[in-house]
Amino acid sequence: MSTEKAPESSGAQKKRRRGLSYERKKSLYGYGFIGLWLVGAIMFFLIPLGKSFWYSFNKISIEPGSLKLSWVGLENYSEALNKDPKYTDNLEATLLETLWKTPLIIIFSLFIAVVLNQKFRGRTLARATFFLPVIIATGPVFKIISGDMETSGNTGAAQFSTMFSTDLVGDLLQFLGVYGMSEKMTGFITTVADNIFGIVWSSGIQILLFLAALQNIPPSAKEAAQMEGATSWEYFWKITFPYVSPFILANLIFTVIDSFTNPMNSVMERILVFQNKEINYGLASAMAWIYFAIVLVSVGIITLIVNKFVYYEVD
Amino acid sequence: MQEKTTDSPKKLSPKEARRIRMQSMTREERGYVRRKEALEKVWPLFRFLILFGLSFVILYPLIYMVSCTFRERSDMDDPTVMWIPRNTTLSVLKDTIAAMDFWNTLKNTLLINIGCSLVQVLSCALTGYGFARFKFRGKKLLFGIVILMILVPTQIISLPLFFQFRFFGIKGVYTKNLIDTVWTMYLPAMTANGIRAGLMILIFRQFFKGLPRELEDAAYIDGCGPFMTFIRVMIPNALSAFLTVFLFSVVWYWNDYYVSTMFFYNTKTVATALYNLDNLLKMRVFGDATVQLTPREQIVWKQAGCLISIAPLLVMYVFLQKYFTEGIERSGLVA
Repeated sequence: MSTEKAPESSGAQKKRRRGLSYERKKSLYGYGFIGLWLVGAIMFFLIPLGKSFWYSFNKISIEPGSLKLSWVGLENYSEALNKDPKYTDNLEATLLETLWKTPLIIIFSLFIAVVLNQKFRGRTLARATFFLPVIIATGPVFKIISGDMETSGNTGAAQFSTMFSTDLVGDLLQFLGVYGMSEKMTGFITTVADNIFGIVWSSGIQILLFLAALQNIPPSAKEAAQMEGATSWEYFWKITFPYVSPFILANLIFTVIDSFTNPMNSVMERILVFQNKEINYGLASAMAWIYFAIVLVSVGIITLIVNKFVYYEVD
Repeated sequence: MQEKTTDSPKKLSPKEARRIRMQSMTREERGYVRRKEALEKVWPLFRFLILFGLSFVILYPLIYMVSCTFRERSDMDDPTVMWIPRNTTLSVLKDTIAAMDFWNTLKNTLLINIGCSLVQVLSCALTGYGFARFKFRGKKLLFGIVILMILVPTQIISLPLFFQFRFFGIKGVYTKNLIDTVWTMYLPAMTANGIRAGLMILIFRQFFKGLPRELEDAAYIDGCGPFMTFIRVMIPNALSAFLTVFLFSVVWYWNDYYVSTMFFYNTKTVATALYNLDNLLKMRVFGDATVQLTPREQIVWKQAGCLISIAPLLVMYVFLQKYFTEGIERSGLVA
């Protein structure tokens, strides 16, 4: 089969080479490779994106067989920002949460990655456990175990967290013989416990990436550091940190995007209320676009700032 | 072993040797060695505590799931029952499996999931290769679109996308309703625009950039065209990266409920069935969708639902864990 095809294809190449330069031909092949994606991107990404942008400036009503648009300019945007108190509140909450959780996730996952990179018995098991969130944390299962029972038609039901509910923390403290804690203190501990849960469960991929980066540190660097008698602390800051710094940027961006685009965050849920329940597509689109603009700007700022501190090894 | 036995008669005991070594050091060096030794003794214990505690945080929900699945509903209100159920039963599990129509749903999910992941990995690999190795006009702009695909939340485009599939075709000439068919999943996957496709294209681009160019040059000289080179040379070299990305893709498709609830009404996937478990349960178990259950009472079923819907993933994870955790370093994100 291959012997039959080889002369044919080389013949075709010769023919084409007469007409097109090598560079030009290669660039055409480039288009050939990405062509499939490009068609899809136009159909399933760019057109919907443009349409959604267009929707955000219109009032939309559904007629049988089509959508009816009527231009209202910036009205949807001002409604989202000025008239819907929940939206701005949710926006603020999500932004704040992302702001303080992201650095914690990065620090935590770097720490865990360094620990998991050491040699000890049971390492495979420990690694397997810490990567477990990777396969669970994006799905509805996580929604349930993180205690959000409000979904799917159960609106208004009291929330019951199966994870570190106040009772559990209280019980644990009593069990440990800590009595008479002030309510504030218990509340504080509960929040911390809740957040530890959140952070551990959202650092799977980050740990994975950092671990990969750590394994890429050349052994020569480690040897040199040992010869010079660096303590583990010095080793971390002088060797480990510079080597993983490009990954800190990648992880930062990943974490921020993950938290912003998570369908479980409150802004997204608010947008979905208008999209699915109140059927106000124009408003929903406007909200989504405001949100998206904020996401873009924050990712841009992070990239700009962090890029200054990143060490790239020159090959 | 042999060395030690031959050396030991003429050598001092380890303690003695250490003392002599320490004497020959300066004060600073001695301090350094002492600190290091102390740390080496304390650290493993400390490490064990940290890892154990955090593993507990991760495993707790899973243990809880198993514990809930096999207990009777009444055990939920029994304060003495914490982990081990008083009355073990399989009825909750059976109810949940019936309510989710689990075996059909599973078949359905696998059909969509595995198929979409396969085509998406292939299409993303093609695209990533195109971006990694070829120069063409507008490449920067087009790659910008890939980055945009990563940044834009699906929620923004989901509504126009819905109408796109509802009236698929050319307006006024021929349109077809694709909603509730697997095409809503397969079409974007085939054209590298499915769930998290942007990220996958990026991964493949990085991966192919990291492979040596000599691989292809040899093939070119032998008269292979770029497509044949890709199939014959690049794919065999990229198999482990393919597998890793494929596994992640399976996980992402498996866990997706947002896109699926948007496009499927009657076609169920495991994730959407779990998402709607409340209503499904009320219909199957009580025959009445208006039954009010307190959240606490529902927990046994919810947890059982969780357990059976992640069980296939867990099984996959246990057997292919190596590719999840070790594959990523080879998959080029490291470049």
